[in-house]
Amino acid sequence: MPSAAGIVLAGGRSSRMGTPKAALEWHGSTLLRRTVGILSRATGGPVVVVRAPGQALPALPPQTEVVDDPREGKGPVQGLAAGLAALAERADVAFVSSTDLPFLHPAFVRRVLRAVADGADVGLPVARGYPQPLAAAYRTTLAALAGRLVAQGRLRPAFLFDECEVARLDEAALRADPVVAALDPGLESVVNVNDPAGYAAARARPAPEVTIQLFGPMAGAAGRAQASRGPRAARAATVAGAAAAAGIELAGHVVAAVNGDQITRDGETPLATGDTVFFLAADAGG
Amino acid sequence: MAPGGYFGRALVVDAGSGAAHALPLPEAVLRAYIGGVGLGTWLLHRLAPEGADPLAPAAPLAFVFSPLVGTPLTTSAKFAVLAKSPLTGMLTDSLASSGFAIAGKLTGHDAIVVTGACDRPAALLVDGSGARLEDAADLWGLTAADATRRLRERLGRGWKVAAIGPAGERGVRYATISHDGRHAGRGGLGAVLGAKRVKAVAVRAATKVAPADPRAVLAAARDLRARSFGPATAKYREAGTLANLLAFNAIATLPARNFQEASFAEAPRLAAEDLSRMRQVARHGCASCTIGCEHIYAAPGNRAVRVEYENVFALGPLCGVSDPDAVLAASARCDELGLDTISAGGTIAWAMECAERGLIDAPWLRFGDAAALLRAIDQIGAREGIGDLLAEGSRRAAGRVGRGSLAFAPQVKGLELPGYEPRTMQAMALGLAVNARGADHNRSGAYEADLSGDHDRLAGGPAHAAAAVETEDRAAVMDSLILCKFLRGVFADPFGEWAALLSAVTGWRADGAELRRAGRRIVLAKRLFNLREGWRPQDDWLPERLLTEPVGLASGRTAALTPERLRAMIDAYYALRGLDGQGLPGQADLEDLLLPGPAPALE
Repeated sequence: MPSAAGIVLAGGRSSRMGTPKAALEWHGSTLLRRTVGILSRATGGPVVVVRAPGQALPALPPQTEVVDDPREGKGPVQGLAAGLAALAERADVAFVSSTDLPFLHPAFVRRVLRAVADGADVGLPVARGYPQPLAAAYRTTLAALAGRLVAQGRLRPAFLFDECEVARLDEAALRADPVVAALDPGLESVVNVNDPAGYAAARARPAPEVTIQLFGPMAGAAGRAQASRGPRAARAATVAGAAAAAGIELAGHVVAAVNGDQITRDGETPLATGDTVFFLAADAGG
Repeated sequence: MAPGGYFGRALVVDAGSGAAHALPLPEAVLRAYIGGVGLGTWLLHRLAPEGADPLAPAAPLAFVFSPLVGTPLTTSAKFAVLAKSPLTGMLTDSLASSGFAIAGKLTGHDAIVVTGACDRPAALLVDGSGARLEDAADLWGLTAADATRRLRERLGRGWKVAAIGPAGERGVRYATISHDGRHAGRGGLGAVLGAKRVKAVAVRAATKVAPADPRAVLAAARDLRARSFGPATAKYREAGTLANLLAFNAIATLPARNFQEASFAEAPRLAAEDLSRMRQVARHGCASCTIGCEHIYAAPGNRAVRVEYENVFALGPLCGVSDPDAVLAASARCDELGLDTISAGGTIAWAMECAERGLIDAPWLRFGDAAALLRAIDQIGAREGIGDLLAEGSRRAAGRVGRGSLAFAPQVKGLELPGYEPRTMQAMALGLAVNARGADHNRSGAYEADLSGDHDRLAGGPAHAAAAVETEDRAAVMDSLILCKFLRGVFADPFGEWAALLSAVTGWRADGAELRRAGRRIVLAKRLFNLREGWRPQDDWLPERLLTEPVGLASGRTAALTPERLRAMIDAYYALRGLDGQGLPGQADLEDLLLPGPAPALE
């Protein structure tokens, strides 16, 4: 498999929203923080945030890289060029996302990345009625082409697609992935929030349904009923939310592992539908 | 006059002649090596003839105490046992705890070193009147617990006993020395004592030793006691180390079936979360300990067994066995025979794989077969049948079996791997590869970094090397003071706080920087002892299986540790330790070690 990374384009003007979308809260985190975390989880590689020159961003994980668009207001291809260039030496393919996809699921990201692994330059979902260039996978070698298009003033993604091999993934192709079919059957990964009404609707949706399991002293804490040790279902969009649902504090001697993968103490680590969160003692001496 | 907390001398006893003499310990040496593992390392440099066979009479075995022993500081009643390991051919240092530490120190010595060998089974007795050997023919063949009981009945009140079981008598290369059911377990120290035909060492307190500042020590003890009841020790107190098992299984760090897998589907049957409710009969602590980590479970045959994660991991998932009765019985049997459960389980798991591949003629030895596990343990203890081969440990056994079986022998430097999967804990992978004792989780605590959330546990790199150095240095200081590592989480400024404790006891004005240097010095001194005894750069490495066979995680990701990545981490580790590309120290470091003789070199 080619090495993968993530790019989040955060430099849009948010004119219809009336306030910077990157900093909007969704179930205990910001939209940008959530998107960065989902891409980090799904790709296992670095994540680059591309912002407008000097744009203020909400808090991000320390390993997140931030690069500036050379000029403001030039649209997504410029951001794409900047992000791909930043990753060109370290990854073969990048999933490129806008900052306003609260329902973006790691399984969707992985499915789209596979299109480039299969040989295309771009994996372009066509879902919920539209092509989704800001929820798509791009080979990082496209950085030069994207830069040239910007220099020529050809600022729409369609110009890029005209000059490379694009694998269009329709809804059937996306749902053919059994994990996507199970965890994101409505392909809500591509639902963005563009205006206050859309944001209000997104906030009204419940947090993802996840499973929590406690181990060690958390499982054996006095008074904790056998049934509550887990695994058990909960609604939580972040690890901190899951900890709160379990009645424990994510602190110095407690760590979490999402789906048995990386260990984290970061409460803002995003969760998606179908995730399992393990809470265990950080003190592992044995 | 010795500093507070010390007597300033070691007792050296020749088991052959019965003669004993006091070896003065200069204050500079005590300050440089502190006690326990550190001081023991210096003593081995000083007293072990270069190149001696670990089972030869000339090879010394040292029981080493520490300045904190005998104080009211929680968890300080521990002692170290050191020798050249018959399993690895390098230095091994194991800890045990409780009354033997206090009584042994209060014989008036900072260490008791046994050299030579008796003509017939004997017990070494040390008290205020010195050292003497008594006939112990009637104890030979008994379990350590039975031998201890009988010896104490004979000697009367006040005697504390460390003894070997039948495995030590028969030279099983991973036999233990046990005291009060706790084992100085790793590296075959029981075989070293058995080769000297010393069944037991009994000590009785005869004097006192005062700390330099009793009020400060008492205040520190009260503070530490209060902290020992907090969340940092909750796991040990409430569930014991077995709490690791189900958690490690969930994050694919529970080695199973001889490291062919990183999780075990039947792990819930062995989990502390439920097993403790059904089996636990008591919870104990060592002398001077307020944590009380020992969870005693009922084992078949009306036996009670101390249950630890490592016992259950090695005799359960590693051998594919999930029947809790069988695993507890196997653990109890290892205790009776005096076998290191990790090495026993690792060697048997290797043999099970060999049998399944048709490499050895033992068709009965199959993963998951509880009866086969118990039969193999008995044969090892008796050195009968295939047990004679397995008593040699997995590396030597693989050397005899050949046919590629060394690639999956679960060992580093000959010491079998503990229950921390290196491919999914890559800081720990480095710690296991470079540690002087071999594959060891107590001298390298690098798994702390893997579980901290601060590093990518699946992608080892320079940050992991720094974590491995830091945790190794901390372990060296804790093992020399000695404080139990289960207490480590209560220290916000470990080196600084340990220096304050040491200063209160000794009267020195030690600071954190001094203790950091001591930790580094002790790690280096161990490395240098190994170099003297034949260590080669290729000994700092992992088994081929771990570098060629990836393992899967529940998330769908694959964890792989490549030779190139391990090499890069080792190089980074060497650089941080000031070692050259072959792992050798520079001249400036050598001069700081206060060691006798010329510096060893690679041949």
